[in-house]
Amino acid sequence: MFTKLFAAAALAIAGITLYSGFTQQGAMVLRQENQDQYWARYDTAPSGRYRGGVWVASPDRSAYGSFRGGGPGAGK
Amino acid sequence: MQAKPETQTTGRFVDWFPYLPWLTLGVMLLSLIAAAFLERTLISTNVTVDPDAPTELQPIQLKKEPFGALRIDVAASLPSNQWVTYEIQVKDKDGKILASGIKQAWAESGTWAEEGESGTWAEDDLLGGLDVRTNQAEPVTIALDVLEYSDTAGRELDTAVPFQITVKNGVVDDRYLWAGVFGTFAIAFITLFSVSSTGKMVMNKSNRDSDVTGRGTMGGSDRLLRVVVKVKSDEHSPRGLNVRLTMNDENGEQIYTKTYPVDVSLSKNEGRVTGGNSTLTKFFILEARGSYGFHVEVTPDLSIDRTRILIRENARTLYPVEVTTIKTADVH
Repeated sequence: MFTKLFAAAALAIAGITLYSGFTQQGAMVLRQENQDQYWARYDTAPSGRYRGGVWVASPDRSAYGSFRGGGPGAGK
Repeated sequence: MQAKPETQTTGRFVDWFPYLPWLTLGVMLLSLIAAAFLERTLISTNVTVDPDAPTELQPIQLKKEPFGALRIDVAASLPSNQWVTYEIQVKDKDGKILASGIKQAWAESGTWAEEGESGTWAEDDLLGGLDVRTNQAEPVTIALDVLEYSDTAGRELDTAVPFQITVKNGVVDDRYLWAGVFGTFAIAFITLFSVSSTGKMVMNKSNRDSDVTGRGTMGGSDRLLRVVVKVKSDEHSPRGLNVRLTMNDENGEQIYTKTYPVDVSLSKNEGRVTGGNSTLTKFFILEARGSYGFHVEVTPDLSIDRTRILIRENARTLYPVEVTTIKTADVH
């Protein structure tokens, strides 16, 4: 009984992850307003968004003076 | 009443479902390998980018693909104690930005001294990446822009930053696949261990002595009984024990008895034995459903703290096991 449920769960996990990985669900889709599925790689954040299929840079894109690097001294 | 015990190895009660998650895990691992064959490297180059002057790579043709996406991987080369904010841009054929992503990269190092000890440290976070999919065929140009470049003191730098850029097409996102690998692996393990608890518990008796007795209604020609005897012994436990299992029918007449030797797994603390545990697992089919009495006796009994009997009905097994079938010729 339980083994059937577990086997079904394993198949479901495999199905979902194979689909998402091979069809690149985490990628940025050009000209698509809804980017909810976007999964950043190496903390690379989108610096804009689509409005009517046109990429609009975020207003804070040029305001990068606040950026501080990491390292053991960061965040203190 | 006449009992005829008959023991044979059978795969009749094997539950094949626990093997399915392992098969699924195998498929996941194979797809990880297959995914690596789908990707094609389009551009792999080193560029230097001046602050606020985007550097463009050669145009590439992008189209809707059934699998994978366009992957842009960027690695900044920074000397120690510098920060750079760079932007990966995807431009259309008119030079307008179609998509862009920002990475704040840094490399820092220094020395530390603590409680008389000292040393150096160096850390960095230089990699950036953008995966892009499209729904229409079009030529695109990838560009790299440096938005801000400074040292750790906050002084702006005006020199060019070297980058290593790799552009690949048809890249599968293996983060999902690895999640699937670990997920199915965990489930595969749980499923394996869940087999021994399949079925309905029809007896669970425990006694603080070297013997335990119980009676319950069970049996039927299609119902496998998993009989588990657990013995707890004290610090004087021998390495082996004998477990005698006796079954009686509803009239109290003995239909089966056998003594099984079991190994004791000794628990030790600092080299001294603190106690022992032993387990005996046996499978039976009692063809006629009815009330059956079980009696377990463990010898030598001096070191036995506790004896427990657990019986599960409609049990399943992972592999073919030895099953003892007891036919009771009814004389009523």
